[in-house]
Amino acid sequence: MAQVVIKRLTKTFPPPTKGGDPVVAIGDISLEVEGNVFASIVGPSGCGKSTLLNILSGVETPTSGTVSVTESGRPAHLGYVFQDARLLPWRTVMDNMLYVRDDGEAGETRATRYLDMVGLSHTHDMFPGQLSGGMQQRVGIARAFSVEPDLLLMDEPFSHLDAITARSLRDHLQELWSATRKTVLFVTHDVVEAVQLSDRIIVLAPGGRIFDDITIDLPHPRRATDPKVATLQAEILGRFEEMHPAPAPA
Amino acid sequence: MTAAPVALPEAPAPQGGLRRWLASPVGAQITAAVVFIGAWQLLTVIAPRVPGPAVVANFLFVEITGGPHGGIVRGQFFEHFAVTLQRFSLGLFFGFISGLLVGILIGSSSLARALLSDTVLVLLTMPAFVWAFLTTMWFGITWQAPVLTVAFSAFPFVAINVAQGVRAIAPELRNMSTAFEVGKWKQFRHLTVPAVAGYIFAGLRFAIIIGWNGILLSEWFSGQAGVGFRTRYWFDANRYRGFVGWVIVFIVFIVLVDRVILNRLQARAFRWRDQKEVDFIEIEEEQVGL
Repeated sequence: MAQVVIKRLTKTFPPPTKGGDPVVAIGDISLEVEGNVFASIVGPSGCGKSTLLNILSGVETPTSGTVSVTESGRPAHLGYVFQDARLLPWRTVMDNMLYVRDDGEAGETRATRYLDMVGLSHTHDMFPGQLSGGMQQRVGIARAFSVEPDLLLMDEPFSHLDAITARSLRDHLQELWSATRKTVLFVTHDVVEAVQLSDRIIVLAPGGRIFDDITIDLPHPRRATDPKVATLQAEILGRFEEMHPAPAPA
Repeated sequence: MTAAPVALPEAPAPQGGLRRWLASPVGAQITAAVVFIGAWQLLTVIAPRVPGPAVVANFLFVEITGGPHGGIVRGQFFEHFAVTLQRFSLGLFFGFISGLLVGILIGSSSLARALLSDTVLVLLTMPAFVWAFLTTMWFGITWQAPVLTVAFSAFPFVAINVAQGVRAIAPELRNMSTAFEVGKWKQFRHLTVPAVAGYIFAGLRFAIIIGWNGILLSEWFSGQAGVGFRTRYWFDANRYRGFVGWVIVFIVFIVLVDRVILNRLQARAFRWRDQKEVDFIEIEEEQVGL
């Protein structure tokens, strides 16, 4: 069971122009996520969602504060799904799967299993350029699950896809997650998506601070059209308006 | 309701067979060769001291098969050629490997870039004949002079191209590798080398051409055997058919290396780009359940 502990985390980037102010991506966040939970981090663009995942994965270093991602006391093993698939275009689908974790026959069996689960069993020997954007993203999801991570980080994985493909992939993701019950940190700016997928929603506000922390107590898998889901979505969108009040009608 | 028939515009008539053949790659190459030989023949009419294609072809036949001219005996052509090839391969190997390493270093480290990029740029501006002179002054009439001329001439072209390639690697793929904790050696093999392959081929092409020029000059100045030495031998003997004949051998070798070896290697390295697109719409619909 992965445990994520973030204490007084800040991240500041140098000013984009000479003489300008440094950009505060994350401003003093403390947060804990543990258990087999699907947690979403929601917020408007530029509130530090992706930066937070990059810090957790080791791609970025914090300016101050600490993060620890552990599994039974040892450093947790991570999987990552990015906004775009980020596959090596010169390697086949199977080679891309093995690139991130190749432990011989076991690795190949595992890769095959997860490709089957996302409906891509026929693509092993294809190159990414031969696949559609949605199929590439499914390979990206299968790749992240195939490393059998303790914690899965997902950074707006469906934001570049059309609505129909994104809906289909959300269903695939729910099936995969129900089968594996990994701890997931899912970044999105789409509240509707977050309510459909998550057990917990952490809302970040501009300036990189926590605005709200909401628990969703509905059984999985959920359909976006389920009335209970729709009611919750409306309620949470209402809370969002407190952060960004809509202009009063003239 | 049935749709009214629509008159389609007539398809354009197919082009003439000769025109189509001329536009094909093989046709264009053969045409260019014929035009070149024709122009060369014409030049011999204007300037009688220029040996014509037939005279040069006859010279090469005798030079290759062994004949009375120049005291050459059967098999010496291949001996001279083998000597040059050996020196060239050795020089190219050192130039390529050192260029690859320095290129990766410059491309991946800002400190190495600050320290080395100007030096490589200076080396890039040095003509091959300067290296041929310098190495002859340093090493005299030895095998080291032509080998080092090739290595020094080839090195900066490989280094500059590889450095550009390394800098062009998508940072997203690097971040993905870091996030999945992919080892450095695995990243080098599966990410860096394939991403830089196009730049490596470009560098290698330049390196081969410049290095081959360099070895001709070096053997001209300091060789006692080899293609360059033999070219000079006929030049000194005032036998221009011999000189031109060896220059042609020199050019044909480069063209063959480019067409036969480099093109095939390149096609193999980039086969992922040439894959046919799959009709994934049908597959997608099946998966999505539409």
